[in-house]
Amino acid sequence: MDSLSTISSKYRGKSSSLMNKFLDWLDDRSGIRSLVKEALYEKVPGGARWRYVWGSCLTFAFFTQVVTGTLLWMSYSPSAQTAWESVYFIQYQVWGGWFLRGVHHYMAQAMIVLLVLHLMQVMIDGAYKAPRELNFWFGIALLGVTLALSLTGYLLPWDQKGFWATAVATNLVAEVPLVGPMLQKIVVGGVEYGHQTITRFFALHAGVLPGALIALVVGHIYLFRKHGIHVKEPRPKRDSYFWPDQILKDGVACLAVLLAVVFLTLYFKGAPLGPPADPSNEFPARPEWYFLFLFQLLKYVPAFWGAVIIPLVFGLLIFLQPFIGASRKGHQFNVGFWWCLIAGAAGLTFLAFSEDQANVNHGAAVREADWQAQRVVQIAQEDGIPPTGAVALLREDHQNRGRRIFAAHCSSCHRYKGHNGRGYSVEEDQSAPELAGFASVDWVTKLLNYEHYVSPEYFGGTAFKEGTMANKVLKKFDEEETKLLPQVALLLSDLAELPYQEPLEEEQRERYMDIFYDDLACIDCHDIDSEGEGSAPDLTGYGSKKWMVDFIVNPEHERFYGKKNDRMPAFGRDDKLSMEEIEIVIDWIRSKPASE
Amino acid sequence: MTEENITSPDANSTNCCDEDSRRKFIVVSTLAVSAVCGVFPFAAGVTTILDPVKKSAGNKEKVPWTKVVPLTSLSEDGKPAKYEIILEQVQDAWTTYKNVPAGAVYLTRKGAGVTAFNLKCPHLGCAVDYRSKSNDYFCPCHNSTFGLDGSVTDVKSPSPRGLDTMDTKVEGGFVWIRFQQFRPNIVEKVPLS
Repeated sequence: MDSLSTISSKYRGKSSSLMNKFLDWLDDRSGIRSLVKEALYEKVPGGARWRYVWGSCLTFAFFTQVVTGTLLWMSYSPSAQTAWESVYFIQYQVWGGWFLRGVHHYMAQAMIVLLVLHLMQVMIDGAYKAPRELNFWFGIALLGVTLALSLTGYLLPWDQKGFWATAVATNLVAEVPLVGPMLQKIVVGGVEYGHQTITRFFALHAGVLPGALIALVVGHIYLFRKHGIHVKEPRPKRDSYFWPDQILKDGVACLAVLLAVVFLTLYFKGAPLGPPADPSNEFPARPEWYFLFLFQLLKYVPAFWGAVIIPLVFGLLIFLQPFIGASRKGHQFNVGFWWCLIAGAAGLTFLAFSEDQANVNHGAAVREADWQAQRVVQIAQEDGIPPTGAVALLREDHQNRGRRIFAAHCSSCHRYKGHNGRGYSVEEDQSAPELAGFASVDWVTKLLNYEHYVSPEYFGGTAFKEGTMANKVLKKFDEEETKLLPQVALLLSDLAELPYQEPLEEEQRERYMDIFYDDLACIDCHDIDSEGEGSAPDLTGYGSKKWMVDFIVNPEHERFYGKKNDRMPAFGRDDKLSMEEIEIVIDWIRSKPASE
Repeated sequence: MTEENITSPDANSTNCCDEDSRRKFIVVSTLAVSAVCGVFPFAAGVTTILDPVKKSAGNKEKVPWTKVVPLTSLSEDGKPAKYEIILEQVQDAWTTYKNVPAGAVYLTRKGAGVTAFNLKCPHLGCAVDYRSKSNDYFCPCHNSTFGLDGSVTDVKSPSPRGLDTMDTKVEGGFVWIRFQQFRPNIVEKVPLS
């Protein structure tokens, strides 16, 4: 009795006689029954076993990638101005888009793991030896195509990670002797990365490589069927059939893969999307985890070795393995070779991870990239993405520019929460005040405390540490006077009109002004709303945007430090910063410091 | 389930009913597991395909007001004039366009109020002309004729309904409109959104 009628007559009863009639009709015209029989009643010598499931799992994974990839394709747009933007759209706007993308992302990673398991099962069982040499080579080619699919895939979101990691990968292409540079131009679609890079990678990822993979899989399965399952004698169990015994095991394994991928997708809330690709925005380029060992290897060997010599030697060796494995010793060598390769890759991967963990600035760079990614999504959701693309959003964003201007021009002396404004530590010693929360009540309160004033956090690194304010004022306050300082702090901070602080009541302001004028006689040196020229900085509108602009333009102005200025550059007067840049960095300094 | 229980279909079994129910269990489980795996990739993305349907449903009340022209530039005798509608912001999937020409309208002043007709003929979407000689609207494609109030005047007109009006208001001396397109060639006026 053949397969389809077995199922229909035995388990579905007479109600499906119509179905049977239809199948008879179809069979007469197509011979489908013998085809299905051929497919399902493959003999499994020694019985169904869990160790045979990997090939089916890989087929299932690839099938999932084709379907989810095609669905992603329906919303993806490959160009430098739309790739990140359409992926953002999928991730944040399309109903369930984040889940679809997550499944595609994590299934790609599952495929790499399954490939290694499949390969090791074949190696250990000796299923690569004669007469299966050809099929072994097909398998190795499939491994290569799958890795190429991964590599081309993670460029497509055109985010910083894809962009920089691909830049490294395509630079390695140039190492190929003679044709390398030409090959690189062909792959990149020119000298610079842009539209043509994405369209080419996308054609490879969604057309050429899946096509090649399907062709190779057909050959792989054909050859597998021709030679049958490789079983070690004596056979562990009675022979059985592919259907349903082995298929059930295969199905359960596929289900496990599926559940793992769904778990990862839910756990990480889909696949990550970094900030949009920007060649002017540095990024800690790291490939996906399964390429990390190659990345680490390139720290130890010249690029030419990593890109050409080692792959060639290993490739040749792998090609010859079916012949090497003909003898018992040879087989042992082959299995040992793969174990060493895996152990080596695992070791290098571990080194890559632990080196990054130990590198403070790498951690800062990752956090900075995370900040940018969140920021650009926030702007895109509030203001939309212009036709020029999302990279412009980040480049023009005042918060982002403020951080960058501070890091580039202020942070060699000043600090922001102890770092350079973008989270990186600074090598030089701090020699000017901390500016996070500048002019806020807390900040001014600390400023008026002698211990803080002379600490490196404020003026400890400047000439003012030994100045009049430190030694003749703050240090000399008696207990009564010290009690009045919090009110002076409130007054000064109120002058700053910070966007995140409530203004004082008029009555309070007058009372605190009396303290400033009379009780503590600050007015003797510092002006507020007065005509005379004090010997210390004018505090009229202290910390306000206008005050800060004037100060940063020229701190040597008589209103401010005059000749007592200690190394603070006149950024505006000497054209070190444009007025726009000065205002942007001031707005950023005056914004509320984010809580860590 | 253990491997001992699994037999090949051509094996002779002494206990036919036990074997049958075991086999039935295996077949049903196999089919169920395979079905889950086969459907999963499609299920993972079916919502993304349905996304556009979901989005259009919620948008009907969100047609924005667009500023068109100062009220004073409309003729007080009720003579229609054609104006381009420049939408302040148009969202196309991930891209936000600013100041996009989205269509045109005929505006007619009636005292302090303004009537707006979409330029598109409700028949098949050709641009309708105002004919000053006969003081009516005429579609040059299939000869539909409309009166100044927008209604179909000639019984031979193929248009199933009169010209499509839209909400207008006068604020700060300017005419504002909620510009919309409508489904062509049906009797009811149904906005496309």
